[in-house]
Amino acid sequence: MTNGWVDIKNTDMMLIMGGNPAENHPCGFKWVVEAKRNRNAGLVVVDPRYQRTASQADIFCQIRAGTDVAFLGGLINYAIQNNRFAKEYVTNYTNAAFIVKKGFKLPEDGLFSGYDPAAMKYDVSSWNYEEGGNVTGTAAAAIAAGDGPATAETSAKAAPPPPPAKVVAVAGKPAAAPPPPGLPPNTAYDLSLEHPRCVFQLMKKQYSRYTPEMVAKITGIPADQFNKAADKLTSIRKDGDTKKVGTIIYSVGWTQHSNGSQMIRTAAVYQLLMGNVGRAGGGVNALRGHSNIQGATDMAGIFDNLPGYLKVPIPADADFAAYLKRITPTSAKPKEWDSFNYWSNTPRFAVSLLKAMYGDAATKQNDWAFNYLPRIGDKRFSWADQWDAMYKGDVKGLIAFGMNGVAIGPNSKKNIDALKKAQWLVVCEIYPEETAEFWQSPSITKEDQAKINTEVYRLPGAGFAEKDGTFVNSARWLQWKWAALPTPGDARLDQAILSSIFLKVRELYQKEGGKFPDPILNLSWAYTNPASPSLTEVAKEINGKALADLKDEKLPPPNEWKAGQQLPGFAWLRDDGSTSCGNWLYCGSWPDAGSNTQRRNPDDPSGLGIHPTWGWSWPMNRRVMYNRASCNLEGKPWDPTRKQVWWNEAQQKWVGNDVPDFKPDSKPKDHMGPFIMTPEGVARLFVPLAGLADGPFPEHYEPIESPVANPLHPGQSSSPVVKKFKTPLDKYATAKDGFNIVCTTYRLTEHYHYWTKNNRMNVELQPEPFVEMPVELAEEMGLKGGEKVKVSSIRSTYYCKAMVTRRIKPMMIDGKKTYQVGIPIHWGYAGLADGRPEAERTPANLLSPTVVDPNAFTPEFKGFLVKIEKA
Amino acid sequence: MSNGLLEIKAISGHRGGTPGSGVSRDYDVCKLVDTTTCIGCKACEVACLEWNGYSFAETTFDNTYQTMPDTAWNFWNLIRFNEVEHEGQVQWLMRKDQCMHCEEPGCLIACPADGAIVQYSNGIVDFNQANCIGCQYCVTGCPFNIPKFNNVTKKVYKCTLCSDRVGAGLEPACIKSCPTGCLHFGSKEDMVALANKRAKQVRDNTSHKNAGVYDPAGVGGTHVIYVLHDKDNPEQYGGLPKDPSVPFFVKMWKGPLKWLGGIAMGLGIAAVFGHYVRYGPKPADHGEGK
Amino acid sequence: MSSNIVVRHGTDLREDEIVRYTLKERMCHWISGVSYLYLLLTGLALFTPYLYWIAYVLGGGPTIRFWHPWVGLIFFVSVLWMQSMWGNDMKTTKEDLEWRKTVKAYVTNRDDQVAPAGHFNSGQKQFYWIMFWGGIILFLTGIVMWFPELVPRSAHWVLPIVVFLHCVGALATIGAFIIHLYMGIFFVSGGLHGILWGRVPVSWAQTHHRLWYDKMLKEDRQSVRGTGAD
Repeated sequence: MTNGWVDIKNTDMMLIMGGNPAENHPCGFKWVVEAKRNRNAGLVVVDPRYQRTASQADIFCQIRAGTDVAFLGGLINYAIQNNRFAKEYVTNYTNAAFIVKKGFKLPEDGLFSGYDPAAMKYDVSSWNYEEGGNVTGTAAAAIAAGDGPATAETSAKAAPPPPPAKVVAVAGKPAAAPPPPGLPPNTAYDLSLEHPRCVFQLMKKQYSRYTPEMVAKITGIPADQFNKAADKLTSIRKDGDTKKVGTIIYSVGWTQHSNGSQMIRTAAVYQLLMGNVGRAGGGVNALRGHSNIQGATDMAGIFDNLPGYLKVPIPADADFAAYLKRITPTSAKPKEWDSFNYWSNTPRFAVSLLKAMYGDAATKQNDWAFNYLPRIGDKRFSWADQWDAMYKGDVKGLIAFGMNGVAIGPNSKKNIDALKKAQWLVVCEIYPEETAEFWQSPSITKEDQAKINTEVYRLPGAGFAEKDGTFVNSARWLQWKWAALPTPGDARLDQAILSSIFLKVRELYQKEGGKFPDPILNLSWAYTNPASPSLTEVAKEINGKALADLKDEKLPPPNEWKAGQQLPGFAWLRDDGSTSCGNWLYCGSWPDAGSNTQRRNPDDPSGLGIHPTWGWSWPMNRRVMYNRASCNLEGKPWDPTRKQVWWNEAQQKWVGNDVPDFKPDSKPKDHMGPFIMTPEGVARLFVPLAGLADGPFPEHYEPIESPVANPLHPGQSSSPVVKKFKTPLDKYATAKDGFNIVCTTYRLTEHYHYWTKNNRMNVELQPEPFVEMPVELAEEMGLKGGEKVKVSSIRSTYYCKAMVTRRIKPMMIDGKKTYQVGIPIHWGYAGLADGRPEAERTPANLLSPTVVDPNAFTPEFKGFLVKIEKA
Repeated sequence: MSNGLLEIKAISGHRGGTPGSGVSRDYDVCKLVDTTTCIGCKACEVACLEWNGYSFAETTFDNTYQTMPDTAWNFWNLIRFNEVEHEGQVQWLMRKDQCMHCEEPGCLIACPADGAIVQYSNGIVDFNQANCIGCQYCVTGCPFNIPKFNNVTKKVYKCTLCSDRVGAGLEPACIKSCPTGCLHFGSKEDMVALANKRAKQVRDNTSHKNAGVYDPAGVGGTHVIYVLHDKDNPEQYGGLPKDPSVPFFVKMWKGPLKWLGGIAMGLGIAAVFGHYVRYGPKPADHGEGK
Repeated sequence: MSSNIVVRHGTDLREDEIVRYTLKERMCHWISGVSYLYLLLTGLALFTPYLYWIAYVLGGGPTIRFWHPWVGLIFFVSVLWMQSMWGNDMKTTKEDLEWRKTVKAYVTNRDDQVAPAGHFNSGQKQFYWIMFWGGIILFLTGIVMWFPELVPRSAHWVLPIVVFLHCVGALATIGAFIIHLYMGIFFVSGGLHGILWGRVPVSWAQTHHRLWYDKMLKEDRQSVRGTGAD
């Protein structure tokens, strides 16, 4: 979340889409209700089903799963066409005015400029700004000269991009990669937003194709219904109003698509257009599906990240300096503007991280042990890739720690078969679950079992109530929790289990040596109890400390720290080895005075739901990110009744109820962009260069399994950069194969993933697996609610009962009547379901396809094709 | 809430007698269920079970999100899910169903067992199973179908409005568990005001122009009140009666019939006694046989 | 000592006596009567708080709630049994119409002016039918009240009506029962004797049930001893 849960209460308008918080976040949903009750805030819900959240909506739109970009693109078009957007904000706080290079082409035919069909990827060199400073006032001349974005014809005529230079490895050393194209330091810009190649005009052109009629064709939302929703949502900017604020709340209903990152991008573009980012009651707000998934992500939950979103080195990084040069951006902005470019501090964060990891073994002489870090090349190591590798026999073993891989899928059958091929499997859990029991999944016979050689170890894990430590919630709050119970029986804390594995591996390396023992032998493990480190020590290590006496007169007092003292914030991190920090974003969570994560003071002096002394929020306890954007150019809040931060002329600095997310002394007249994490200093409506693999503007692409060809460009229906997997179990269906019903998957409020099927209370509240389907479909099939059905995708079959409902309606998609159904994911073959007939024990993810988003590599759980028969 | 505690005994800085002494400041308690903000999360169902110590029962899938078809003797709080049409669009109504704690409680009126049903002055209608004889006249008297019979203990059970918690100054368990603030608890006066305010807000700001408060006069008002999207169609919320009252025949039975019957019996006995005094016993025979 | 007792229909007959009720009839009557009495007392306990003390006397509320329907079943069976024995006797005859004209004389003990009656006089018959139809209503409504938990929600509207009818039925039988009790115990001397031991003096039969007596002489001579018989 750019904002936070409590902050939702400040909003005037909510779009909840790709998420069902009333179902999955009922406690957080209270803030939605607060906004409705206390501010008369509007609520528009867009979802494949009328669900619990929709029951609270002013307007509900039933959307076909996977077509969210079309809806949001239509919304952008509506806002621009009706002049309902924040002009001053867009001009000054986004890259709307920036001029894009000649040769950039919009995807009228489904492809941006630079596509290489053989490699299925883009050469992004044309996705860049033009150099040249202020060109305001030249628009008319440019138009007269026919200077616009490239079209399909002109780009076809243009010479194909040169093949990328081959990187030749010489004598075992990786050759230096060709320098990646950079952003121009002095970008061209047109403050009138009229230049045909300025980002705003390109965006306008891009989304002018998303007319209400086109939106209806793609999404199945009738045009008048769409217009009603769009009118309501954009009403906050009616007649130039800049006071009102709207928020967008989403969850994995966006993430889990082959076009998922772009759905979120479209939401970001819309929010920027409306001037809603950085403001109380605004933002783009991802709801996290687990209590600590935000923490996992911050702490390198993704294979190409290090903690704090630093990049994992690649083979081409010759040394630490080359690595830092590659990952540290230089500012790119109009000359007249200023950019904080906070990522320019990357070296401080990276060195401090290496010091935290390797301690005294990280020295200036050895590049801070940079070479200890693993490097990744072109090979992906995402979830789906690793199961694919195991299925192909490349991965020999798996440690599944609090993670039920078979059930969480996708394509559970492939995962089960992958585990059959593994040599060993270690599962640490608190319940019997599908992964440890893969060898007795429903389709496996006794004879099959005899042929499985995988050795399965089960470790007795600890439940959440038995562990202390922090949870990082969707609002980026780090909150310490205390263990409520001791671990029962032989169960052990996570850190005890992981430490014993690590200590054993280290012992083996000590004894036997090995190819490269140094990263293991030199890993800093300076805990009081190495066999089970206290999480307090770990949390303090992550926060970071001074390794030498530090003094900085430029920072506000106390500005002197002795070696060994905890650091109060990442402004203190150094790149000379005098600080260590496990994750720069968390620096400040546990300063020398004690843990901020344990604070429980509910005071909220501003009434804006900031609660500055409750827990701690990264970065630096800011509750709303980019909050400089809550003020106009002069530094005055857009809405004086919701004052977050402001420029104090007397003190010559930014002050406020929240912690300013900005250079504190940057005068408004310096025109420093509020989006301090981009090199431009402004937010990106257009993402230049390699920011996203599938395009600088979001474009609607069909899910990999779709009932229709993309009405925008049938020739390029799904994303051109999404690669399918190629094993025999990776089958993908079309409507022609008889799979013509759109299926989505989701959770229920009564259950939590695959745990609660072990708990009688939850089972009483929702006892059996079901599929929700429209009345019309059931009537066609002669089916009554409660009868057993068989839902099949091309991959496998799921058995359950039919929930026949009016809450899902048939849709007209591109002139074709299309049905949509939904399956809650909570059931499987282990736990209380033991002993039930096979037909009641199938995991829902038997149905979903292995295909992933090209940016975040999240599988497409939320839109694929099935057929339904009576069972 | 112990009303005795709110009885004025002494006041500060006052010469002479204590004004208001001996007067207890009674107030009625009331639960407000705002169906317009209920998300059907069932937290209240679970809280009710846990506070009242009932274990979980087997349920089966029944083509609905509703936990079970009806409340049960050991399941007093049930959210009813109903799909209805509103302006051509589907609407999913969720209503927390439980004892309404009527001001004129049909169960209590119908109950023959001494002390089995108690109405507290704060409005809570509570069952005392120790005195319950299991006749289920309360079922007959209740216009909301709330009391439920346990075939093993042969007693009837229902929501107590957590009289045990309320008596200790706490809110009912369901109220405590509600995440969205759809449930409120306080004095009847405050809750009615809050409900009306919310209903007006719904009328003024949403398409539900007929939103209103459900506090049925037919049972003298209730100590559980609803805000409904459409106050004229309470039935669509899983059978909430539009104009509930204690059934006519229960009133006749417990009213005129009881008194007339009693009087008639008394008169009957008096009449035969009078007859006996006047005429005495009939001779065994005329004497003509002997 | 050779006994002067002749046994007919399970009834000891002495001289000048006639079998008024066979043993079977008496048993039926008393099963019916005692069960009714229990039903009356327990029913009244549940009818009004002023008589709820009866519940305590009879073992407590739950106990009477348990037994009332079972005893009701016994009562109902006894009513059916009685109907099978007396049903024909209880039909209204033209002599009954005559008797009814003289009912005032009967009530005021001017028995010489009373028209002759059969086995049962018309008043007894009216009592019988009140108890019979009352029994049916009480049974039918009682079954529903026994298991109200089996009544589906959609049919709950029937419950108040059922309870009401049960009460009305009960009150009607109670009214009749008061009169029956008064007449059987206090008013008609010898009546109680007859229903207890089955025999009545021939003279009593001649006085109160002349037509029946005459019929007995013709049809069941064995059950009549003494005066005018031998």
